[in-house]
Amino acid sequence: MDVEKKHFTCVICPIGCEIDVELQNGNVVSMEGNKCEKGKEFVLQELEEAMRILTTTVPIKGAKWAMLPVRTDKPIPKRLLSKVIEQLADIELQAPVKMYHVIVKDVAGTDANVVATRNMKKVNHPKDAKKDLISRKEG
Amino acid sequence: MDVEADVTVIGSGPAGLTAAVHAHESGAKSVLLLEREEELGGILKQCIHNGFGLEQFKKDYTGPEYAERLIEELEKTNVQYFLNTMVVSLSPDKTITAVSPEKGISHIKSRSVVLAMGCRERPRSSINIPGTRPAGIYTAGVAQRFVNIDGYLPGKQVVILGSGDIGLIMARRLTLEGARVKGVYEIMDYPGGLKRNIVQCLNDFDIPLYLSHTVTEIQGKERIEGVVVSKVDQKMNPIGGSEQFVPCDTLLLSVGLIPENELSKEAGVELTPITKGPVTTETMETRVPGIFSCGNVSTVFDLVDYVAETGMIAAGNAARFAAGDWKKGKNPVEIIPGENVRMLFPQQYSFKDDLILFVRSAKPIDKPVNIELSPLGVRLKRLYARPNEMIRFKVSRDKLKDVTGPVEVSITER
Repeated sequence: MDVEKKHFTCVICPIGCEIDVELQNGNVVSMEGNKCEKGKEFVLQELEEAMRILTTTVPIKGAKWAMLPVRTDKPIPKRLLSKVIEQLADIELQAPVKMYHVIVKDVAGTDANVVATRNMKKVNHPKDAKKDLISRKEG
Repeated sequence: MDVEADVTVIGSGPAGLTAAVHAHESGAKSVLLLEREEELGGILKQCIHNGFGLEQFKKDYTGPEYAERLIEELEKTNVQYFLNTMVVSLSPDKTITAVSPEKGISHIKSRSVVLAMGCRERPRSSINIPGTRPAGIYTAGVAQRFVNIDGYLPGKQVVILGSGDIGLIMARRLTLEGARVKGVYEIMDYPGGLKRNIVQCLNDFDIPLYLSHTVTEIQGKERIEGVVVSKVDQKMNPIGGSEQFVPCDTLLLSVGLIPENELSKEAGVELTPITKGPVTTETMETRVPGIFSCGNVSTVFDLVDYVAETGMIAAGNAARFAAGDWKKGKNPVEIIPGENVRMLFPQQYSFKDDLILFVRSAKPIDKPVNIELSPLGVRLKRLYARPNEMIRFKVSRDKLKDVTGPVEVSITER
């Protein structure tokens, strides 16, 4: 049976152990380079399902700024990052928005919610003029 | 308008917000916070990624959440803040002149001042890339502002020069927004940013990192059409014959940050080439009595937690100074960089408090190291020392009380 080799850089702590793993039939047969148990757990999780927090922005109307920053409220599978971005593409919010307001529930079936990461007030005269200064380049 | 204050903080990023709250908590009766933008928070507002406050709050905040948390704390105090207010001059007697559309010109007499103006990105002109001068060249932070606040994508085919953290963060951000990042080119033979950013911003998206490479020419007339990249030798000189043309419509520069000290200079604050920030003691006091300095205007930190920590120290002492509870005490001793130390902060010890020392190594050592303070022999053992990760450690006042001459800090292999 072929041995598959994989390399990971652990990001649990700043040491950043460089960990080499050998796999057979998808099972770990050897692991080298991790200085602690947490490194092992990190690699096993990465192998099973790499999880990441997604942070991005969604457009908002009636606010001082054009974009509202958002995040997933827990890590989601890395392979679904672009799917979540796509799902957020059609959203446009209206100010005011409170921090941690849920924008999308259970996004892409991940059980995570996409939430606002700041308060954004409603303003009476949004700086729409600013948008005309630079036009979005299409291409 | 004429205003008086016990403590005035200039800048409301993480250092300034923390300092304003802490000056109030330390008993300053009137605290004034000056911000030139229309909102509090400084650069945190555009740093929408997570990783803020891991050490300080044991939470994984995004930049905006971190700012909101500090702003909430600020709103509970009676700290006064002026927005849209640009400080145009600061004198050694701590008189501040500021301008704003609402208030016109203000003269502020403050018993003590906390400098928290942060830093600026190094632009193209600071690294002298030959070639044409087309549109499409941005510093990474400007691109970050366009994408995260204004909602504009700066381009579709992106090359990033320099592997500083903002460049790495933008590589991921632009990829998620649909641009193609062709590569990150770093002149040094090790990355500039934190390891977690290399993994989560580049490796996760298969964005290549080319070490010992730089951009040697920019091409394009109206808009950038591509860059020539070259390998560099050990002296960082481009190697002839290694040139490669990389087509792109956008070049981002992530080539370093410089503390913004125009105001400090005007106030007669002495700066040091080691950090490009003010010479300060462990109390964060500069060489001008009553003017304190913290955060990235002092030295460019890697982590917001450290920025905030120096803000707390500066504010506590600025409050004491304002209250008249400040003795001159013993003459400070110098703290000087020794073997393999590129940067250290602060540069003086004045026997008033424990010393929180920040050190950056000159080269990467991926072996166990000792950090030594000669002649104290105080040692910290670490598993490695890397220039892209500041080392922070505390030396108690007790250990330092009998020091009479300069303290030299060195990092050596064990």
